[in-house]
Amino acid sequence: MADQTQSTPLDLRAIAPHLLLPLAIIGVVVFFAALQPAMISGGNVVNIMKQSSLFFFVAAAQLVVIITRGFDLSVGANVSLVSVVSSMVMTSLLPGLGVEIGVFAGVCTGLAIGAALGAINGVLVAYARINPFVVTLATMSIFTGIATTISGGFPIFNLPEGFSFALNQMTVLLLPIPLIIAGAVAWGLHVMLTRTVHGRVLYVLGDSNEVAHVGGRRVREHLFFAYVTSGILAAIAGLLMTAQTGSGEPNLGTSLVLSSIAAAVIGGASLRGGTGTISAPIYGALLITCLSIGMNLQQINGSLQPVVIGAILIFGAALDAYRTRGR
Amino acid sequence: MPAQTIQNTARRNRIMASIGILPVVLIVTCGLLALYEPRFLRSSNLINVLRNASFLSIISAGQMLVIIVGGFDISVGAIVALTSVSSALSIVWLADLGIESVAMIVALGCLLGLVPGILVGLANGFFVSVMKISPFMVTIGTMTIAAGIAGYVTGGTPIYDLPDLFTREIGRGSLFRLPYVVYAAAVVLGLLWYMQTQTRLGRYFYAVGGNEKAARLSGLNTRKYIWAAYVLSALLAGIVGLFLTARVGSGEATLGSNLMLESISVAVIGGVALKGGVGRIPMVALSALFLSVLSNGMSLIRIDSKYHIIIIGIVIVIAVAAESYRESRRAGHG
Repeated sequence: MADQTQSTPLDLRAIAPHLLLPLAIIGVVVFFAALQPAMISGGNVVNIMKQSSLFFFVAAAQLVVIITRGFDLSVGANVSLVSVVSSMVMTSLLPGLGVEIGVFAGVCTGLAIGAALGAINGVLVAYARINPFVVTLATMSIFTGIATTISGGFPIFNLPEGFSFALNQMTVLLLPIPLIIAGAVAWGLHVMLTRTVHGRVLYVLGDSNEVAHVGGRRVREHLFFAYVTSGILAAIAGLLMTAQTGSGEPNLGTSLVLSSIAAAVIGGASLRGGTGTISAPIYGALLITCLSIGMNLQQINGSLQPVVIGAILIFGAALDAYRTRGR
Repeated sequence: MPAQTIQNTARRNRIMASIGILPVVLIVTCGLLALYEPRFLRSSNLINVLRNASFLSIISAGQMLVIIVGGFDISVGAIVALTSVSSALSIVWLADLGIESVAMIVALGCLLGLVPGILVGLANGFFVSVMKISPFMVTIGTMTIAAGIAGYVTGGTPIYDLPDLFTREIGRGSLFRLPYVVYAAAVVLGLLWYMQTQTRLGRYFYAVGGNEKAARLSGLNTRKYIWAAYVLSALLAGIVGLFLTARVGSGEATLGSNLMLESISVAVIGGVALKGGVGRIPMVALSALFLSVLSNGMSLIRIDSKYHIIIIGIVIVIAVAAESYRESRRAGHG
């Protein structure tokens, strides 16, 4: 059906899917603002910007692999492990080397660990050809185990003030720093996905693995790097979240796995692979963040909030099934 | 007689291929454990292992059915929690109604307790088979919904005051020294084995998972079988929920939180192919036994529980890597 409507560019049914999510987000904000004016107070808007920026990174990490018809169940464990290790590096280097070098080393270690964890997933998925679901299920429990083991299960306190300031509280032109970083990364990802060979290969891979092979690209390398990218994005999320909580937490990312997939899919990435643009994690992160902040302001019972998210998840997936039925 | 030798080797290879290395690994693990830690062989410990393996194999059998028809059931753990809460609530409610016979209360309460779980299974089946939504998304959604409802209803506090008949008899009772859940597992596995190997229904499940389109074109109502697999999986998860509730003695919204991962791990280690159409009950039972022996052994030799998930994760990777290596070799030769 979508194909027939494409010939008339101003047909409402052709542009409706693109307007649906922004309208839904605005609708959610207006709905909660009507119930509780605090929803659009300055402080809360900054809060929404920060939270959705943090959430954007895990959703984007998920998007990169969902495009290839994969999954990354280990993003949450990745976030936890990065949080723990970078905090430990910072607190141990702080007395000897000063704040700047300590924070810099912590951030670099975090990113390197994210890349390494992504590389482990990538090797197993791309070179050992194991189902991504099973691979990341297993690495999820391995990474979580390592995070709780090296931290002893306790949060790591006494992070330098400068770290929290630089990655969470600082504002540039009135915009919070997580939003700036998210914007820059989103732009970079957008260019990578649409303007580079690597990006195109990822979409082809998701559409049909065989076509990608026949096309003569070194498919395994591209698939491998998709998981590395995903790992780095999750590491950025881990660093920013650590800066926000102010301590290294071994269970920081536990709840992120399912909601990151939810955000990417609600935003328009298909689990059948081959589709999904950078707008998917942006819209998805904004929608879920606005919903949960709104429900918090409305003091809806904490156990009922996942029920709402779950219902939206199924709704988003149903929408996806409807969209792709023609293909 | 070289021809016959070749035939014999071929037959042996075929038998080896169909059994796989899991039984060998299981026996070696048990042997090493028995040598290293004699407490492993104590009958109380072996019964403990068998009990855990029974819980695990019932829920994994359901997971296997769903994977055979080409799906996933992420919601099994949440169904265990939901059933725990709903059965405890209905037993307490029935007791308040003033029904005389305790046996009646327990029986009715268990039956009522299974209802919410089966509803979740029906919803899973509907969304997957009729609406054609990715099973992963559907069951993640129903998982969060079921877990949320279970948490909301209990408000975070367990439901106590369950009758002794339920907690002592079903939870801790035994026949010939074996807990009841072992017999339940034997019955469930036996029935499923019979269904899979001896009935047409069982073959239809494989047909749907192996090639849904071909199955549909040859006249099977594929929706029906996919739906049935999700309902059966939910029912088995519910049964595990009942036994676990009786075992811990209260209705808890956090029960079974790691059973989802464990059931998928058991299925994967037991050689159930995630692309559907492959999977056998005996292997799943062996695999459940193997995981139970492994975690029991790790506790016995005092490996910190934090390492358990690391080791189990590594075991999964090795199992699946071995499987895909075997498959690629088979594809290469054939």
